[in-house]
Amino acid sequence: MKAGSKKRIASLFLASVALLPTLLFTAGCSGEKVTVLRVFNWEEYIDEGGEGSYQYDYEVNEDGSAPPIIEDFEVWYEETYHTPIRVEYSTFGTNEDMYNQLQLGDTYDLLCPSEYMIMKLAAEGYLQPYGKEFFDPSVEENYYIRNVSPYIKNMFESNRINKADASNNATWADYAAGYMWGVTGFTYNPEYVDEAELKELGWDIMTDAAYRNKVTTKDNVRDSYFVALAILYRDEIEALDPAAPDYGTKLAEIMNRTDEETIQKVEAVMHEMDENIYGYETDTGKADIVSGRIWLNFAWSGDAVYAMDLAEAGEDEDGNETASTLLNFFIPEECANLWFDGWVMPKGANRQAAQAFVNFISRPDNAVRNMYYIGYSGVIAGEEVLSYVKDCYEVDPEEYENAEDVTSYDLSYFFGDTVEADSAVFYADVEQAEKRQLHAHYPTLEVTARCAVMDYYGEEANEAINELWSRIKSETLDTWAIVVICVGLVLAVTVVLLIIYGGKIDFFRLPPKKGYRRIRSESCKP
Amino acid sequence: MRLRFSRKLLGVPYAVFLIFFVIIPMLVILFYAFTDKEMHLSFGNFIQFFSDHTKLSTIVYSLVIALITTAVCLAIAYPVAYILARSKMKKKFVLLLLFVTPMWINFVLRINAIRELLSWVGLLGEANYFNTIFGMVYDFLPFMILPLYTTMLKIDESLYEASADLGAGWLTTFSRVTLPLSMPGIASGITMVFLPSMTNYVVSDMLGNSKVTIIGKFIYEYFGTNWHMGSMVALILLIVVFLSTWLTGGFKEDETVRGANL
Repeated sequence: MKAGSKKRIASLFLASVALLPTLLFTAGCSGEKVTVLRVFNWEEYIDEGGEGSYQYDYEVNEDGSAPPIIEDFEVWYEETYHTPIRVEYSTFGTNEDMYNQLQLGDTYDLLCPSEYMIMKLAAEGYLQPYGKEFFDPSVEENYYIRNVSPYIKNMFESNRINKADASNNATWADYAAGYMWGVTGFTYNPEYVDEAELKELGWDIMTDAAYRNKVTTKDNVRDSYFVALAILYRDEIEALDPAAPDYGTKLAEIMNRTDEETIQKVEAVMHEMDENIYGYETDTGKADIVSGRIWLNFAWSGDAVYAMDLAEAGEDEDGNETASTLLNFFIPEECANLWFDGWVMPKGANRQAAQAFVNFISRPDNAVRNMYYIGYSGVIAGEEVLSYVKDCYEVDPEEYENAEDVTSYDLSYFFGDTVEADSAVFYADVEQAEKRQLHAHYPTLEVTARCAVMDYYGEEANEAINELWSRIKSETLDTWAIVVICVGLVLAVTVVLLIIYGGKIDFFRLPPKKGYRRIRSESCKP
Repeated sequence: MRLRFSRKLLGVPYAVFLIFFVIIPMLVILFYAFTDKEMHLSFGNFIQFFSDHTKLSTIVYSLVIALITTAVCLAIAYPVAYILARSKMKKKFVLLLLFVTPMWINFVLRINAIRELLSWVGLLGEANYFNTIFGMVYDFLPFMILPLYTTMLKIDESLYEASADLGAGWLTTFSRVTLPLSMPGIASGITMVFLPSMTNYVVSDMLGNSKVTIIGKFIYEYFGTNWHMGSMVALILLIVVFLSTWLTGGFKEDETVRGANL
């Protein structure tokens, strides 16, 4: 190629690069003004349409289409408020990732962190409260307040958002609208784990030698810390009277202890756990419990339902056929963790649009869509959600020969007055009610009453616990071992250096005397 | 003024890339490493790192894991590369391909396969450190073989003939011809294996069930909670990496084989 043509190509290239921003700019500016709603949510935590979505599987729409719920929201919003809207949807992997994004100055209108992160954000002044209009049940579009479960509503109204600041009486309900909730427990394989023994051991199974290398915990400090607390203060927890009015407060106090002495004791328990468990995981546990590699998997209720479904269908996560097994879910009787994820608005968010979004996804039919897609339990009650739950779990007692195999399941604490009286009590398979999907999906009041919420520990305690976590996760060496290894490394490096530069310094032989040339004696042999 | 194009202008995109994706991020890391939560200049992270047993232990552990991985890789790869380079086979690239093709398969897939394999043998969850090193060796072996192979291929056959003519035995030939001439390959192989095996925590998480903590995982965890400490650990790792590259002669300019074929 000639030099001239090279130049021409280069200038063409540069010209196109220079033009590009102009082109993009004009493209972006065309069209009318559209409201933008920036939503920041967990990965795979909303109905994304297509295969696996409720509308797809049940062919809800006449044309068989199954759009993502966000597209439906955009259509609904324009129909209802007569302004076009565009949702900019992005996702995060952990609460901490989300927090970092916020700190870096990213702006959003709506976030979906877990309860402790909501408390942290509120304590640091990131959040703006919901408007009064959001809580007006007389407005048709206020689907959240009209349909939220009374149990959740009460929970959000009775937990103060900033426990460190006594003068601040704001509750979760002021700043957050619930989305999903659940409990923690164990998914276990009844083939290997004896139920009676499990009941007796509870969380202690994590440190029980009989289950060495057969149980996993979560690879994050808060969940593991909670387990260690439950093991540590078991006697104290069991001494509490569940009937006492202050039972919940006392339990929450124990399960949120972060004083120095507790942290020290917890460290010993966590070391014991570390020795005994198969490993830490965030995602592989589901596959491992289904394949039978482990016997027990510390799990969030939604994940547990997913794993049980997979195992029952005889599939692994990639859809390959495996033997069908029945897994169970066990919520330790002494105490379990009750968690919530909720929608919050950072300061400066478009409140009207954000509230509209929360309301839209809280419409019972949409709540069912999201629950169906992601497998967790939503905070929304109402007839449609109840009938979805009943579709999944209600049985006809007359079909059962043995009356003991059927039990009456009471979810009226959750559905309350959002449904007709007594309709939230239905017949369910006793296995489902006591240890399978239903038990994980919608535990009864008896179970949830024994659960505690984990608060935000505060900056100082948080740091102490993170340091504790890194001590647990790493092997700690003695000083002498560090010194020995370091010296060894330096020696090794020296040897490597000598080998590399050894070619230049011939250290196997003395240099020849002056005036003589070096000659290889052995090669001179006849 | 008329803008004149010179060939130097073609370097501008690269320079821009360097500034935005290499130099500025490094400065940001440096800034975070030496500031505290209130963004004041502080050496607290530095002091805390070197006075904390856990952190020192972790870095020592990762060094040892990386060192063993590198040594095992070298021990396996050297004979393989030697045989490949010296064999008179016509289609020896097929043999080479056998060693290199795994690199073209997705990394996570390979590690998952190893995980299944180890679980089948019964080692998963039993020997976490062994599994981690095993996975790393498996993963990084091609990075050792390739540079070794290309350097050895370049060794002139006449040198071996000369060595034989002069009566050298195989050991002498090896120590005086093959080894010194393949040094550049060894050096680049070491850098290519040593550095990733200090940080690749996907292997230690998947095969060691997250019970093995190496420095890469440490940095990851700190970036969830404390960016300043995370940056300090990253910076210290950077220094270790820089030193080891320098020690193995990675900055020598006459070296042409580095990264060949990769």
